[in-house]
Amino acid sequence: MRLVVDIERLAVTVSQAIFDNRAKATVCDASMRSPKSRGIHKGNAMTTRKTILCDAADARIGVTLPGKQLARRGALRAVAIAGVAALLLGAAPFAARAAGPIKIGVLLPLSGNFAVLGQQALTGMKIYLDQVGNKAGDNPIELLVEDSQGKPDVAVTKARKLVQGEGAQVLTGVVSSGVALATNDYSRDNKVPLVLSADAGVTELTMPGPLANPYLVRTSQNGRAVGAVGADWAYKKGWRKVVTIGSDYAGGLDVDYAFGQEFCSLGGRVVQAEWSPIGTADFGPYLTNIDRTADAVIAFAPGADGLRLARQYSDFGLKGKLPVLDLFGTLVYEPNLPQLGDATLGMYSVLFYTPMLKTPENQSFVAEFKKRMHFMPANEGPNGYVGAEAIVDAVKAVNGDLSDTMKFMAALRAVKFDSPKGPISLDKYGQVIQPMYIRETEKVDGQTANVPIATYKSVDQFWPYTEAEYASFKYTYKDAKNAMTDCTRLLAKK
Amino acid sequence: MKARVWPFIGAVAVLALLIALPDILRPYYVGLATRMLIFALFAMSLDLLLGYAGLASLGHAAYFGVAAYTIALLVLRAGVDSGIAFPAALVAAAIIGALFAPLALRARGSYFLMITFALAQVVWSVAFGWRSLTNGDDGMPGVTRPYFGWSLDNTTSFYYFALAVIGIAALLLFAIVKSPFGRALRGIRESESRMQALGYNVWRHQYAAFVLSAFFAGIAGALYAYFNRFVGPEYLYVVQSAEALIMVILGGAGTLLGPAIGAALIVFLEDFVSSLTEHWVLVLGVIYVLVTLFAPRGLIGLYVDFRQRRALK
Amino acid sequence: MTWVIHILNGVAYGMLLFLIAAGLSLIYGLMKILNLTHGTFYLVGGYIGLTVMQTTGSFILALIASVLAMALLGAIIERFFLRRFHLDELPQTLLTFGFLFIFADLSLWIWGGNPLMLDEPEILQRSVPMGYYAYPVYRLFLIAVGLAVAGGLWWFQEKTRLGTMLRAGVDDAEIARALGINVSLLFTLVFAVGAALAALAGVLAGPVLSLYPGADFEVLILAFVVVIVGGLGSLRGALAGALLVGILDDFGKAFFPEFALFTVFVPMAVILVLRPTGLFGRR
Repeated sequence: MRLVVDIERLAVTVSQAIFDNRAKATVCDASMRSPKSRGIHKGNAMTTRKTILCDAADARIGVTLPGKQLARRGALRAVAIAGVAALLLGAAPFAARAAGPIKIGVLLPLSGNFAVLGQQALTGMKIYLDQVGNKAGDNPIELLVEDSQGKPDVAVTKARKLVQGEGAQVLTGVVSSGVALATNDYSRDNKVPLVLSADAGVTELTMPGPLANPYLVRTSQNGRAVGAVGADWAYKKGWRKVVTIGSDYAGGLDVDYAFGQEFCSLGGRVVQAEWSPIGTADFGPYLTNIDRTADAVIAFAPGADGLRLARQYSDFGLKGKLPVLDLFGTLVYEPNLPQLGDATLGMYSVLFYTPMLKTPENQSFVAEFKKRMHFMPANEGPNGYVGAEAIVDAVKAVNGDLSDTMKFMAALRAVKFDSPKGPISLDKYGQVIQPMYIRETEKVDGQTANVPIATYKSVDQFWPYTEAEYASFKYTYKDAKNAMTDCTRLLAKK
Repeated sequence: MKARVWPFIGAVAVLALLIALPDILRPYYVGLATRMLIFALFAMSLDLLLGYAGLASLGHAAYFGVAAYTIALLVLRAGVDSGIAFPAALVAAAIIGALFAPLALRARGSYFLMITFALAQVVWSVAFGWRSLTNGDDGMPGVTRPYFGWSLDNTTSFYYFALAVIGIAALLLFAIVKSPFGRALRGIRESESRMQALGYNVWRHQYAAFVLSAFFAGIAGALYAYFNRFVGPEYLYVVQSAEALIMVILGGAGTLLGPAIGAALIVFLEDFVSSLTEHWVLVLGVIYVLVTLFAPRGLIGLYVDFRQRRALK
Repeated sequence: MTWVIHILNGVAYGMLLFLIAAGLSLIYGLMKILNLTHGTFYLVGGYIGLTVMQTTGSFILALIASVLAMALLGAIIERFFLRRFHLDELPQTLLTFGFLFIFADLSLWIWGGNPLMLDEPEILQRSVPMGYYAYPVYRLFLIAVGLAVAGGLWWFQEKTRLGTMLRAGVDDAEIARALGINVSLLFTLVFAVGAALAALAGVLAGPVLSLYPGADFEVLILAFVVVIVGGLGSLRGALAGALLVGILDDFGKAFFPEFALFTVFVPMAVILVLRPTGLFGRR
């Protein structure tokens, strides 16, 4: 009998060492039994959040109950536990969790069609971290990278794994907006800081409203600011009637709608709005349809779509006849430029970055990025870099103590530095304030490049409106499909 | 007698293991186990159609996704209680199945595969394109979990909830395939004309299998919506359908247990290998090829072969 | 004039779709294999063409190299893997899916994740002015190539000895074998030709569609749509299906832009509901 108990203890110790076990579940259960969290339940979102917290807390509490309590359980169970523990030893590497380095969980697509976006953002992060010796002050930094596959359900699973399984204290990265929305929920429910530092640009994430999350900052971009700045410049350029071609997904609607709204408020008009499905192989029908009497074409088509549109635009003889303003630099995306030859010459684009910036921060970044990736950086690389810098600065500001999450968030929102993108700061909602550049594609040393021709200094997310003015508009980008060509709708107030 | 005892002991052991799981594993792995269970049910639901009725569908994500979307729409758009949405989701999945079945059942073999694929893609297009209702590609976050007198919000309690629901569903599936109806289905799979001659209404059997299969896929989809608190158009996309098909084949079609194992294995491998290497897609591909070469009847086929070889001795 | 251009466009895109789908249809016709690696042959073939084009500067060499390479790969996959699972759909599916995964990852490894665009041959890098519009010559070239390939395949099937054997094999492999036709060699050959056609499409589509990770799967789906609409295993069907899908896609996008997402799958579903075996399919 004695022997059996000992075996059980051994088994429990082994499984405790390797896995979170019983003890933590008990702690969690106990907290949930409190009358308060019981009372308000019934589908109440607040409690939902509170109780999920258990998940996250589970991972961090490292306490164990003395073997005494556990010893009371049947020996059979212990043997089962030991057996399974042994069986699952293969999973042990994940379980290793120790105090020490600050762990940053990275969620980026590293396989499939978005892989190259994830790789660029990751390279940007690593460039910065290598530059500071993978340390924030005295605290070593450890990057834990997971492939989100660009799928929200996978990303949430991986977020759970990073936080609960591996002890990540901050999450960062995120390319697609669906992933951003799902991860935002996870971050809010579990009070895990989330630093969006890649392409995800869902505008309303950083605005007051149902998605607002005190544990979120975004150092990369949002959709609407780029569109609004583009409209301002287009109007100043003298264009009054334009055609838009935008990718038919949330990001495209957001960017184009912001353009249309600002263009209308200045006195211009979108005369024709085309929406191409993601993965549009042939832009022929759209290009044939374009109103030739317009002043310009406003385009937004990320990924392979942008490459095709740029090429087909030139093939269909539109280049040189109708000027193009590319919101976000999707047609003149730097990694694609070498393959497009002269097709993109003379295109205008608007983005918060260009590798042609002559600041020391940018020039050393571009040199390092080219060395690692063998092509010029577009937005993802510098975004990853800036995200890593913001996290490191904030970790330094709290002296490596991330236990007070709100204090860490305050430190994150207070960061301010000169980056490859230009001077960076954050507003009170955690959204980046940064410069915007109008670029023109020209030949520089025999290669096409996006040369800055105008700069909008410190553009915030509501630009050019105040928060209250922006909030007074009746419609949002979700109504874009019925509103793009109708200025009265675009400008309607509540 | 002996031959009948071992499977029973095995089943009890597996059940005991499943119940003890949250005691053994860290919460993250309990979450992973929940995912494995959900996809096991999804694969088993497809197996009813593919393995027993002999109809390979490449559109099974439609029922999975429709159930998930029903939950999200009812909870987030109509303010319906999350628990009440559950039966509604299953009904919705079954209705879609009942509507698609007459269209798809006009064809066999590869044509059946193609029609189910086409119909599911139409559903996907609707979810993707009808932005005002479904939020399009952004998907719908914020789905709440049901409350049946106790909270399902922590990993362990949801795991037990999923285990209970999936356990019941699995038992029902086993009962269906063992029933005269299930035997008739297998007969039809082997020879439609013979069963016709024997007086069976082939079409009606296939129709019932189709709708049942959609219904069970709906259970998996509804659980998945609760589990992730999120739905998105990728739940409906052909990739999801193809993955289910692969899970069934990898495990071994026509056995229920095989597809469940196949699903659990694929979910686990995707998670495990993708943490080790960026090239997890390559690893999975090699595994698929190796399994085809060495276990063309699926993983469960290995066991069956082993049993037969022993019996021959 | 707009109409002429829209029709031209639809036909050009349709021809591209025909090139993409012809190999899939050919393989299905003889071997009843729904070859999931078809998109892989397209993408890897395209990538190989791109590399050859970049090193030699010759479009013709790029075409030849990629066609030969993929024919060889196709023959290997058929001979050493698929051969074992003749008419056994489930292992075929798992196997071809496995290869789809393997080559998707290998090509991401080798060619990176950025979309890559092939350059069309210099003579074709121009547009024909058409009144207010201009039309790229390369697309006219695609129409010509599509017609030539369709004609060539028809001639091969109807007029050559090999084609006769092929048709015999399609009708009844057992009888063909009894007649002394080396059916197993025929299978390998046809699989190689199917793979080569996909590679040809990959190189020819490169300057229009570009090559990128995930294109393998997208192309596979497009090819599915075409052969479903036209009818599995029928050359005529693939051509008709491709033209129909191409023209519907163009007109849908141009005139019903709200429904651009539905221009492909809804017509496909409608056709299948009316004719479950596609336009020219046989049971």
